[in-house]
Amino acid sequence: MSRKISMKQAINEALDLEMRRDPTVIVMGEDIVGGTGAHGEDDAWGGVLGVTKGLYAKHGNRLMDTPLSESAYIGAAIGAAACGLRPVAELMFLDFMGVCFDQIFNQAAKFRYMFGGKAETPVVIRGMIGAGFRAAAQHSQMLTPLFTHIPGLKVVCPSNAYDAKGLLIQSIRDNDPVIFCEHKNLYGLECEVPAESYAIPFGEANVLRDGDDVTIVSYGLTVHRAMEAATALAKDGTEAEVIDLRTLSPIDWDTIIESVERTGRLVVVDEAHPRCNLATDIAAFVGQNAFGALKAGVQMVTAPHTPVPFAPTLEDLYIPSADSIAVAARRTLAPGGQSPRIAA
Amino acid sequence: MSATMSANPFPLGKDELLQAYRTMRTIREFEERLHVDFAKGDIPGFVHLYAGEEACATGIMMHLNDNDRIASTHRGHGHCIAKGVDVHAMMAEIYGRSTGACRGKGGSMHIADLSKGMMGANGILGAGAPLICGAALAAKVRGDRGVGITFVGDGASNQGTFLESLNLAAVWNLPVVFVVENNGYAESTAMEWAVSCDSYVDRATGFGMPGVTVDGTDFFAVYEAAGEIIRRARDGGGPALLECNMVRFYGHFEGDAQTYRAKGELESIRASRDCLTILSERVIEAGVIGRDELQAVDREVGALIEDAVRAAKAAPLPVAEDLLRDVYVAY
Amino acid sequence: MAPVVGIVANPVSARDIRRVVANATSLQIADRANILLRVLAALRACGVQDVLMMPENGGIRAHVERGVMRAKSRGEDIYPSLHPVAMPVTGTVADTHRATVEMRRAGVAALVVLGGDGTHRAVAADCGTVPIAGISTGTNNAFPEHREPTITGLATGLAVTGRVPPHIAFAANKRIDVSLINGANGGAVTDLALVDVALVTERYIGARALWRTENFRELYVTFADPEVIGMSAIAGLLEPVGRDESGGLMVRLSADGDGAGEGRRGTTTLHAPIAPGMMARVGVTDWRRMPADVAFVPEVAAGSIALDGERELSFTERDRLSLTLRDGAFRTVNVAAVMRHAGQNRLLTATPVPATAF
Ligand SMILES: Cc1ncc(C[n+]2csc(CCOP(=O)(O)OP(=O)(O)O)c2C)c(N)n1
Ligand SMILES: [Mg+2]
Repeated sequence: MSRKISMKQAINEALDLEMRRDPTVIVMGEDIVGGTGAHGEDDAWGGVLGVTKGLYAKHGNRLMDTPLSESAYIGAAIGAAACGLRPVAELMFLDFMGVCFDQIFNQAAKFRYMFGGKAETPVVIRGMIGAGFRAAAQHSQMLTPLFTHIPGLKVVCPSNAYDAKGLLIQSIRDNDPVIFCEHKNLYGLECEVPAESYAIPFGEANVLRDGDDVTIVSYGLTVHRAMEAATALAKDGTEAEVIDLRTLSPIDWDTIIESVERTGRLVVVDEAHPRCNLATDIAAFVGQNAFGALKAGVQMVTAPHTPVPFAPTLEDLYIPSADSIAVAARRTLAPGGQSPRIAA
Repeated sequence: MSATMSANPFPLGKDELLQAYRTMRTIREFEERLHVDFAKGDIPGFVHLYAGEEACATGIMMHLNDNDRIASTHRGHGHCIAKGVDVHAMMAEIYGRSTGACRGKGGSMHIADLSKGMMGANGILGAGAPLICGAALAAKVRGDRGVGITFVGDGASNQGTFLESLNLAAVWNLPVVFVVENNGYAESTAMEWAVSCDSYVDRATGFGMPGVTVDGTDFFAVYEAAGEIIRRARDGGGPALLECNMVRFYGHFEGDAQTYRAKGELESIRASRDCLTILSERVIEAGVIGRDELQAVDREVGALIEDAVRAAKAAPLPVAEDLLRDVYVAY
Repeated sequence: MAPVVGIVANPVSARDIRRVVANATSLQIADRANILLRVLAALRACGVQDVLMMPENGGIRAHVERGVMRAKSRGEDIYPSLHPVAMPVTGTVADTHRATVEMRRAGVAALVVLGGDGTHRAVAADCGTVPIAGISTGTNNAFPEHREPTITGLATGLAVTGRVPPHIAFAANKRIDVSLINGANGGAVTDLALVDVALVTERYIGARALWRTENFRELYVTFADPEVIGMSAIAGLLEPVGRDESGGLMVRLSADGDGAGEGRRGTTTLHAPIAPGMMARVGVTDWRRMPADVAFVPEVAAGSIALDGERELSFTERDRLSLTLRDGAFRTVNVAAVMRHAGQNRLLTATPVPATAF
């Protein structure tokens, strides 16, 4: 059975299904239940935006509120994972990674390798990413490149409810540490989602639109901007192929290369800052592995090299727009396919 | 002697008392106005209101000058106002205007004015404590008798950064005051549950510094305790912790339904623990300031906030070039 | 039925400004809980099966419950059952008053109190004839005697189970009643102190604790013990008055304690430990006995009134203030006497042996 639900509901459903299936799955985070120790309603919040609302009623103490101590509880989730549980730890805003990053990149990410392949750390750290919420510089970042940079971490970033559910179920079942990035501006977005459980394998990109003229690769919120751009381009007779990466580490190189070999043109869209991000990564990979197929320079559309501004007028300029993606695509189609040098 | 004492029994002169009242009223009016305008959809992002907690910021900040530094929290409007940040600039910032304290780049959670010693509201819990250790270190190295005050919520006090800073400040004997603003809740979670030893004074003691708890809704209690602690820090006596027990009049952020509160809790704290009522009744009863004089202040403050909102709404928005400006000093 | 004991443990005593100005002790919550567990074990050893406890959110109860639970899970049965009094927690002194009233109503045989002078004062206001066993966890603590709480618990247990005759087990205590009639509206406020009433010229309550001597003017004490600190130390170092004597002492102070020699005629300067670790010079004008049941009207016309070391009330020239000492105002467990009796009568041996004649 399938019905329309939001990405927020899809995540809630994935957690519920996995908790039912596997008693070692526990969920922890700040106010994910809410009202702990207070004298009003139990389960008062269900997370700051209500993603985990209602799970406490179903699973009781397997949902644990935490003190505001990310280093301690994210670290504890990792430690518990190394000892046989499958914790899903919510890090409200992934920007708070700053206070607990050691536990993630020096501990979780390295256990397996450092211990000679003898450790498994099946932890999921999920939280909000991305701009557009008027939440300013410390609550809006797209930090995905920080995570993809680290060997040992898997990085997932769904663009819709269907993928969110299947990818979160896969993340929980996966035996490596996963950073699960939820774009806060997609929480309300609905699509058809089956009620039953299903897993989407890592490293399989989703081709959202076929086209032979130009390949547009993205993930998260900007996938939707890329689709808008493709619609606009189609009006001029340009058919863009749009690839939603879904998982950033591992990444589906084959789908990208196959598409570029067909279109000869590539636009990579990343909401992260322009230096050393997914866009540069993919551009470099294509340059190295499919240079002969390229008919034009690779175009990168990213956020600027600035923190996320608060003022709505500025934040709207900050996030890559459908227009800028379409302009970049047209640039690859221009004679010579050259573009002015873009300052980072 | 006893005649002059009875004319004004307080440790502050009439002008200073009026100033304290004005500051507290300005914070209250500022926050209540935001509460209304946020509900109307006029204000982008999220705001955390300081209403109910005014006596704490005010009682502390009256002992500070522009050379003293404070590090604030996500609930920072009160700290800003009490530290002398311009109300028009604050309002414009919250409205995302280019005339704002941070030119519209920061918003409610990041208002700062370094010229006033206000090192920023902060979106990251516990981040202010290490920074203020640095501010205090700078003051100590320069020998300028400056002190650093960091504010932290009951919830954020569980951050490693905060606990590490207590230790660092004690080891380096820094002129720092750690102010725990204990409003009983971190978002929806109760302090009694989240803070294992249940007492901030115990925590301070554990780090080898004195801790003091005061009723943070009583301006005079905060003022007096803060005065001693700040003087001690200024004189080289080292760090201390001040816990102010207080109440939050609104939700964690605007839009919070607050179902975690006990029935009748909000009504009861508003009725019996309103720091503005407590202060005004005290000074009126002592015959030091007349009700009419306070009402005159209320009117001035009302006009000030009204004007700040009007000006903010009329102010120019940041423009495209502003997006790329001020990432570096030079690049 | 075995007697029930009530316990009032204040989580917020010993948190005031004297930690900064005088290096005063701050007894940690976990320590207070451990003290309580020791008292509970002693009560149980004497046969007390049920204990009523004041609820609070300051952590003591949570720690105590954890301790009891841990003992149980190790199979130890060494504590009485704990019953929190059903009442809302406000986190203020009102809780102490309310709990005391409720426990008295419930018929407790004694009240074990953990706190400073202020906490004991609040209990004494409402305890009626129920005897108090005081344990010091506060700052000034002239009232509760200092000793190992296990012994206080033992003595209380022996007293309430009737193994020590009441005339030995319980002692009478004095207090000072304060009456303040508001000149403006005729409203009356009454309050009390267990040890001392100090009148100071500053007229705001502020951080409550009293530690600046410049403003001290008059002092009234129920007993004057040179071995305690705080206001009553001033009296004790001038003329000791026992807890068991009738009446107390009143002392008039002057502003010139620091300007030794320049004081007005008849002023002596006294060195007194007015707060922990804090020796202050106070100018003393004169002092005299304060007989019971005689209303004293202070000379200070306006200022504030500190009761057992904390500023509580303020008054102006328009108000009428009077202070009256009462003998035999409430009862305490006489721990020293109970334990002496227990030893002499071998109450804790397997088969108690009656005392030889005394
Ligand atoms: C490192 C970090 N973790 C979590 C948050 C999300 N957050 C913002 S405010 C808040 C509650 C803070 O409670 P408290 O410290 O008691 O301050 P109060 O809101 O009561 O003033 C939380 C969890 C954050 N901003 N930063
Ligand atoms: Mg709080």
